[in-house]
Amino acid sequence: MSQLELRSIRKTYPGVAEETLKGIDIDIASGEFLILVGPSGCGKSTLMNTIAGLETITNGSIVLDGKDISTMEPKDRDIAMVFQSYALYPTMSVRENIAFGLKIRGLPKHEIDQEVERVADLLQISQLLNKKPANLSGGQQQRVAMGRALARRPRIYLFDEPLSNLDAKLRVEMRTEIKKLHQRLKTTIVYVTHDQIEAMTLADRIAVLKDGELQQLGTPKEVYDRPENLFVAGFMGSPAMSFVPVTVEQGEGGLEAEVRGNDGRAVKLPVPEFLVDRVGKKVILGIRPEHITQPQDQKNEQTLVAKGEFTIEVTEPTGPDVIALIQLNDTNVHCRIDPEHPVTWGETAELMFDMKKVVFFDPDTEKRIAPH
Amino acid sequence: MTDVVRTGFRPSRVAIYGVLLLAALVYMIPLFIMLVTSFKTPMDIRTGNLMALPADWTTIGWTKAWSEACTGVECNGISGYFWNSFKMTVPAVLISTLLGAFNGYVLSKWKFKGSDLFFGMLLFGCFVPFQVVLLPMAATLGQLGLANTTTGLVLVHVIYGVAFTTLFFRNYYVAIPDALIKAARLDGAGFFTIFFRILLPMSTPIFMVSLIWQFTQIWNDFLFGVVFASGDSQPITVALNNLVNTSTGVKEYNVDMAAAMIAALPTLVVYIVAGKYFIRGLTAGSVKG
Amino acid sequence: MEHIQRRPVRVARAPSRLLDGLQRWLPKLVVAPTFVLIGVGIYGYMLWTGVLSFTSSSFLPVYDFVGFDQYAKLMTNDRWLTASVNLGIFGGLFILSCLLIGVVLAIFLDQKIRQEGAIRTIYLYPMALSMIVTGTVWKWILNPSLGLEKLMHDWGWTSFSFDWLVNSDMAIYTIVMAAVWQASGFVMALFLAGLRGVDSSIIRAARVDGASLPLIYWKIILPSLRPVFFSAVMVLAHIAIKSFDLVMAMTAGGPGYSTDLPAVFMYAHTFTRGQMGLGSASAMLMLGAILALIVPYLYSELREKRHD
Repeated sequence: MSQLELRSIRKTYPGVAEETLKGIDIDIASGEFLILVGPSGCGKSTLMNTIAGLETITNGSIVLDGKDISTMEPKDRDIAMVFQSYALYPTMSVRENIAFGLKIRGLPKHEIDQEVERVADLLQISQLLNKKPANLSGGQQQRVAMGRALARRPRIYLFDEPLSNLDAKLRVEMRTEIKKLHQRLKTTIVYVTHDQIEAMTLADRIAVLKDGELQQLGTPKEVYDRPENLFVAGFMGSPAMSFVPVTVEQGEGGLEAEVRGNDGRAVKLPVPEFLVDRVGKKVILGIRPEHITQPQDQKNEQTLVAKGEFTIEVTEPTGPDVIALIQLNDTNVHCRIDPEHPVTWGETAELMFDMKKVVFFDPDTEKRIAPH
Repeated sequence: MTDVVRTGFRPSRVAIYGVLLLAALVYMIPLFIMLVTSFKTPMDIRTGNLMALPADWTTIGWTKAWSEACTGVECNGISGYFWNSFKMTVPAVLISTLLGAFNGYVLSKWKFKGSDLFFGMLLFGCFVPFQVVLLPMAATLGQLGLANTTTGLVLVHVIYGVAFTTLFFRNYYVAIPDALIKAARLDGAGFFTIFFRILLPMSTPIFMVSLIWQFTQIWNDFLFGVVFASGDSQPITVALNNLVNTSTGVKEYNVDMAAAMIAALPTLVVYIVAGKYFIRGLTAGSVKG
Repeated sequence: MEHIQRRPVRVARAPSRLLDGLQRWLPKLVVAPTFVLIGVGIYGYMLWTGVLSFTSSSFLPVYDFVGFDQYAKLMTNDRWLTASVNLGIFGGLFILSCLLIGVVLAIFLDQKIRQEGAIRTIYLYPMALSMIVTGTVWKWILNPSLGLEKLMHDWGWTSFSFDWLVNSDMAIYTIVMAAVWQASGFVMALFLAGLRGVDSSIIRAARVDGASLPLIYWKIILPSLRPVFFSAVMVLAHIAIKSFDLVMAMTAGGPGYSTDLPAVFMYAHTFTRGQMGLGSASAMLMLGAILALIVPYLYSELREKRHD
């Protein structure tokens, strides 16, 4: 499989003042599943189009297996793409759709047939080979689109939001399929999505983009647990991380920060020692819903754990959890409560704060404060 | 809209159907009169009236119109000119449609710097009154040795038809997702391969629209016919006008009407057989304004 | 773990600089013939006619420069003035009648009519006819001695008289009748399509609010069809300005030149009366009229787009 290096990719559209891509550097290892994720307009689709050669770059270079392909035509780059709308040729059968690229490349007929069979087997679409795209369901069309890419055995696979047009249930099914395929074939994949759950579940590494700039490049765990800035922290995870403005204070047993509910109840949360040079200053506390739960006995003796009573404003039962909304320092904060531990909105409940995985951000730079 | 309206309230519905039927009559009556008159004898016409059925049905009007009527100097009927119109219309329709298809393809999927300006030029060309090009065109045809020839007429109709056909195809291809073209490019297909293997198979509806629209426009044209052709290469519209408006001797209205029917039949038949494409052409061109 | 067997990359051709360059030029090459045809055939010729309009050409083109002489002559030419006034009368009546009839028919047809398709086909077939055919038929129908008048007499209205076709004051209205007969179906088709595209949820909201159907049409639906109105007016005005075939078939501009229209004037003076310069000037004025129509329309369209 192939490795891809994106070096300082810049793109400006003619007539547009701001750059669409502002210098993207990403190295993709052979066999890696890299996901580009970000909100609409962040440039992820543009970046993908430049890798494919469907759009030009203003600056920088794209290097595939050591060869600079920045100016090569799409057909010469040996890259295959699966589109959000599948882009199947409507007047051709599934077989002809898959075979099209091979035919153009002049493969002999029996080899083409072999490839089509292989791919159809792999994706379990053998029974659809003679049908036209209009007669297929969304999921089936998806597979055919993937089959078309697989048949070409390219160096790199590009997936442009391939699951966005599917309904929720089908999306989850296809996600698993794609993951299994990747595990089996170990192909190098660059995948674009705006769905951060998809990104977390499928990626080897995630590249978070915003306004044409790379915000963070890391494994799902790195991006989730140690987000580099406010944007990444707020983007990954659902329900999102809550950002509570707090002031670091010197307390009796160590550093602490006070959070106060709208009803006046407060609790002093223990914070890690590396924030010592911020005593007296404001920082932004980033806390995820799973860090605020009902009291758990086994955590009672742990450091960096605190308990407090707060008024529950809204409860949203999701089945496996109850998401409760509280106010801390005038900020909406979500908590995850075990459904067996009943809480009622409008009443107070005792909550446990696990501060071990909580992160802190500088309010001015919006970057995460890291331990030195 | 129609799903919201209840079909209740009797009196107003009677009124609505009444108006609609009346309108239908108004549209149909001239055709009826044309047909009925064409099957009468001149005597019958003088003694009867517009709407009366023929006392004796006869095809003499038709045979005279076809082979004996006088169209100016010649008196050989309009049959020759009928075939002239075909010889002119068919090539012009095919060429202008083909050019329009390629142009529409480029203007929608292979835009380049200035292609929008080019499209604007074409669009404006649809509006230009042909009076401003008649004289120079006549001069050029003369210089090319194509004056008064069917070939000259074909050239003229191609030039002034390609703007419309391009509009049709361009609007049609614009609606086809770009992702399809991107996928084909990645598969290795080039400019012509994409056109012939992917877009063309999808283009049947718009081809029909273009062919039928162009056929109707070109067959029905009079202005170009009367300016650029005379005598042997005249299309049937010019011949019809000459036939009807030459006042030698007694006017034979049955012949006039028969000739008009003959001139109208091809486009009428096309309309009846493939009317929906004609309507698409009408509304497609105008919705863009 | 199944490892993908990498097949030696077989591309259609080795990436060739020449072929890639050709691909980049191909789109431009393909539209080049049309570009030439239109450039010369429309814009070039327009210019040429414009030039001629500033000359004193009569039977043959003469390239002297006489300034605005021809235009001045037009302004005092009785026939041209008649033709221009006729265009105003004809154009105005034609557009208004077509709009009225077309809108009413479209609204009625929109009311879940049985056999709607057949009725629509009947309304539209005149558009498939040549204007020469239409003119010929209507000339016969309105024939002073054997046509409409005789029909009415035979049916009992013995005092009915209809000699408009040969009456220099009324002849222009016969042209209007024939033209409206031909084109009103087209307006109907446009509006029917427009009506069908109206968002039904707006109408449902109005009905829940208690509005009656005629009121809904008048206050909500028709105003939302403004773009269709403009489209229709543009196309109808265009047809009116170019009207030539119909007049030639029905009256040849007569009686005298009472049914003359600019297009007929231009043809007569350029090709039969040997006054190319004058004819060219009249053609340029016709172009001016069209421009006066499209330019404001395009301008208002573009301005609306910028507003969004």
